[in-house]
Amino acid sequence: MAELELSGVSKTYGAFNALKDVSLEIGDGEFAVFVGPSGCGKSTLLRLIAGLDPVSEGQIAIGGKDVTSRQAGQRPIAMVFQNYALYPHMSVYDNIAFPLQMERRPKDEIRAEVAKAAQIVQLSTRLQDKPSKLSGGQRQRVAIARAIVRKPGIFLMDEPLSNLDAALRMEMRSELTQLHRRLGSTMVYVTHDQLEAMTMADRIVVLNGGKVEQVGPPMELYHNPANLFVAGFIGSPPMNFLAGTVRSAEGATVSVEAARIGVVTLPFSGEHLYAGDSVTLGIRPEALELGAGRQVQFSVVPEAVERLGLHTIVHAGEEGRPFTALFNGDPKLRAGEAINVSVDGASVKVFDADGILRSRRAEV
Amino acid sequence: MPSRSATAGPFNRSWGAYAFLAPALLILFLSLLLPAIATIGMSFTDISFLRPTNWVGLDNYFRLMADGRFQQAIGNTMYYTLGVTFPTMALGLLAAVALNRKFPFRIVFRTIFYLPVLTSLIAAAVVWVYLYEPYSGPVNGLFVSLGLGPQPWLSSPNLAMTALIIMAVWRDFGTAMIIYLAGLQDIPEEIYEAARLDGASKFSILWRITVPMLGSVTFYLMIILIVQSFQVFGAIYVMTGGGPLGSTETIVFQMYQTAFGYTEFGYSAAMSTVLFFVILLFSLVGTKIMRRGEG
Repeated sequence: MAELELSGVSKTYGAFNALKDVSLEIGDGEFAVFVGPSGCGKSTLLRLIAGLDPVSEGQIAIGGKDVTSRQAGQRPIAMVFQNYALYPHMSVYDNIAFPLQMERRPKDEIRAEVAKAAQIVQLSTRLQDKPSKLSGGQRQRVAIARAIVRKPGIFLMDEPLSNLDAALRMEMRSELTQLHRRLGSTMVYVTHDQLEAMTMADRIVVLNGGKVEQVGPPMELYHNPANLFVAGFIGSPPMNFLAGTVRSAEGATVSVEAARIGVVTLPFSGEHLYAGDSVTLGIRPEALELGAGRQVQFSVVPEAVERLGLHTIVHAGEEGRPFTALFNGDPKLRAGEAINVSVDGASVKVFDADGILRSRRAEV
Repeated sequence: MPSRSATAGPFNRSWGAYAFLAPALLILFLSLLLPAIATIGMSFTDISFLRPTNWVGLDNYFRLMADGRFQQAIGNTMYYTLGVTFPTMALGLLAAVALNRKFPFRIVFRTIFYLPVLTSLIAAAVVWVYLYEPYSGPVNGLFVSLGLGPQPWLSSPNLAMTALIIMAVWRDFGTAMIIYLAGLQDIPEEIYEAARLDGASKFSILWRITVPMLGSVTFYLMIILIVQSFQVFGAIYVMTGGGPLGSTETIVFQMYQTAFGYTEFGYSAAMSTVLFFVILLFSLVGTKIMRRGEG
């Protein structure tokens, strides 16, 4: 087990800045998830931590020791790859044993360690098989067992579930969470899937364009996204955004006029906001209710209604701007028939012209 | 009737396909199959074009079994084949691993190493005759400068075959390199990265990861080199003429001499038939093992 500290880490490829001045601390035993869209630098950051690529600037410390200039094999880490990266010519046993064989451990010890790891990932009966005989989920378990035997300070996982089908992904998500609890190791997990990030992480690191946008526990990011990017990335379906203008910001309320909903008065002090400022209102689809029961009321015309049994998703975009509502159960709605919806003023997020959250922080 | 057209359909389609294939099949028959069949037929005769031809049954084959010179040619061919195949593969692999990395001018190096393959065999053989020249040749020049005595490369029965092997390795390892490079590029980079993270040294990565993962490429290359070495002729014709004392006389060279030197075409055809079936056997066994490996 070990903590990870990144200080001013940057990575450039020629003129392209893949990572810009990333500083981050991940605590001992923490499950941290790097999340962001393709090309945001999350895998690059993981590779720098692993030592597979050299940093251009900055330092990486693991367990309090600077490992910036150490080779990959000499860092107290193990990594699980998206495509498993198993050795196809070796049996499952040899795949798991390989790191220990490289350390020239005694054969008896290797046998015992492999048996223990195989038991953890429930592959004890497949040790003599080649990886080609295993399913995708089993292959990923072999890769995890290969990481476990190294007893690393930090587990690095690069989109390990991306190649699995939806059902298996859900199963493996829960298995990885249990594994983390069982081993108590520090884990750094990269994914582009915010659902994985929300369900597995102790803390999420949202990356965009090579920069850290926000770091925090999943619910903190969900309820108090620091900016428009995080607000739009965390949550599914994504948050609705409505362009608006501040009418007044006095006392304990802010009055905003926005497309679709007209003038609304929101219950928070408008620090940093002034009359005439352009703002963006953010409304989570699941914060909307059918009918006029809440403070902010408006009507939308569904263009498509998706019934999922537990939920119903209504798409009601206008002029190319998406707008989504998510209702519990299976209300009788039809595409093309206007419906009244409402939302609590306190649930409406206000972002200033620079995209920074300016509304009151929700208690998490 | 529907049932009739259903049965006639595939039949007609097959004939259409055969019609399109016919020109290619005809060329293959005339250029490959017919000469092969004719050779096998000739091997049962004493055809020499100088006297009437007689059917001799298996006589040529019985004669081959008792022919000491043919047995020497088999030994020479085996020695040459082993001497060429394994060093060529080892050097080709090393060159491929070295040139698979990114460094300046690697394309230049790849081209230089592959150039001998593109060179005319006869031209290369003539140059190597000069290189091996006992008094003024650069190879002996190098030996002398290293304090070793000059060697009679092509005129010693003990050294001539080795000299031919060195030249063949020089010429063929570019082919091995290119085939290995293609094989190396099929190994995902992530596997090397996983091995690095697992603490494997460069040698361990080569020995435990790269070499086993190139297994099917290695096998394919080995079969190609063995078959090619079995058929060596040009370099021997130019450099040693099968001598000294028959020490570089291989099966194909002996076939040529027997046919065109002694005009014993029937006997030569029997040698050719034996070689044909040996090569066929190697190819079949090789293909079978490779398919099992792929499975």
